[in-house]
Amino acid sequence: MSFLPAPLEPVRPALLTRVAPVTRLVVGIAWLVVVVLPAGPGVPLALTVAGAAALGLLSGLPLARVPARLAPLGLAALGLGVLTVLVNPANGDPAAPSVLLAGPIRIAGDAIAAGITIALRLAVIALVSVLVFATSDPTGLADSLVQQWHAPYRFAYGTLAALRIVPLLAADWAASGGVQRLRGIEPGGVGGRIRSFGRRLLVLLVTAIRRAERMALAMDARGFDADLPRGVYRPVRLGRLDLLVLVAGIGVAVAAFAIGR
Amino acid sequence: MTDRAAPYGRAFEPPETRWRTRDIVVTAVIAVAFGVVFWAWDTVWNVLAPLFAVAKPLEYVISGVWLMPAVIAGLIVRKPGAALFAELVAAIVSALLGNVWGLDVVLSGFVQGVGAELVFAFVLYRSFGLPIALLAGAVAGIGEALHDLPVYYPSNGVAFQAAVAGLEILSGLVVAGYGGWLLVGALRRSGVLEGFPS
Repeated sequence: MSFLPAPLEPVRPALLTRVAPVTRLVVGIAWLVVVVLPAGPGVPLALTVAGAAALGLLSGLPLARVPARLAPLGLAALGLGVLTVLVNPANGDPAAPSVLLAGPIRIAGDAIAAGITIALRLAVIALVSVLVFATSDPTGLADSLVQQWHAPYRFAYGTLAALRIVPLLAADWAASGGVQRLRGIEPGGVGGRIRSFGRRLLVLLVTAIRRAERMALAMDARGFDADLPRGVYRPVRLGRLDLLVLVAGIGVAVAAFAIGR
Repeated sequence: MTDRAAPYGRAFEPPETRWRTRDIVVTAVIAVAFGVVFWAWDTVWNVLAPLFAVAKPLEYVISGVWLMPAVIAGLIVRKPGAALFAELVAAIVSALLGNVWGLDVVLSGFVQGVGAELVFAFVLYRSFGLPIALLAGAVAGIGEALHDLPVYYPSNGVAFQAAVAGLEILSGLVVAGYGGWLLVGALRRSGVLEGFPS
């Protein structure tokens, strides 16, 4: 599974690791909704600052490894920001005040503001995603979804069981590439690569479905589908801290929207 | 494997809607497999990257790969919610594996899954031929556009937005719809789908 990155996990206890996963999820969704609403660059800027502060002070994540994780997204944010500045109807609108005139190229102030908004929006999306998901392990998330949101347990734990085979699938994928090379199939050109990709996808899905069938049979043999009331092995409780994080997190989102727009 | 033998004619039986454990685990595993494949997709992506630098909307020609879990799970499992569940799980899995778009991927996976699900629901989960597969891919592409345009391209002008949306829908139709239909056919011939209605 060499091509899967090492997970980013909290290395010390922190405020955000002490609240239930659904609490982080609700706050994250609130931030996402606010940052996607149409507004000027002030809203994403405020949330970027707040998100970076939360990442540094409240997440317990190893901060030295965060920049490497966020680097590809930084490039994407920059690229999309530049694109938004260049491809913008405001540039062709004579009424919009222009900032830059270089020959036939004219950049309007509105276009620059739009570009900054989009780039910062992506930064907020990345920060929120790291804050919500890097602090949650899949098991804790499934436990919390079942206990707090009454997600159907068969779906939550069935998915958790499926997640277990990720390393096996990654190994299968590498093996199918090795087999193709062994047989002398060298994908050439774009078309060849896409055909080779399709063949490997089929092999991967066949082995994955076989594994899933065996797993489902084993789970049913142990009464997974019994439809009886179930106990809870790892209780997840909501406390005052959850209420505090919920109110503070949503409060920051609302305040950012009120100030920034 | 049909424990519900239908002596009175299958046509009069309502489709079975309760999810068996194998339905749940197979759908989740398909979604997880695509979560892993999205990583490997980079190998194709990197070949095409210089092309996309020249014309950004062209990158959406192959965006249909992201819609495949919904179409494939819908065609295999044939139960209400299969397309939505698969697309949502694929998104959550890629978020858990460390995709930095995390929460936004979950949002967009939800909208895409709803798009494909609507098509399967429209025919009351009774028809699973090529036209339905193509339509499911295309409507999932509409869902993708409904997410991407306001989130990523709100101020790029109508022409640019139309190009992105059009390519997303076309790619959903061809890559997810037709490609997904081909894959399910190949899976069926391989024999791994014997436990599922066909």
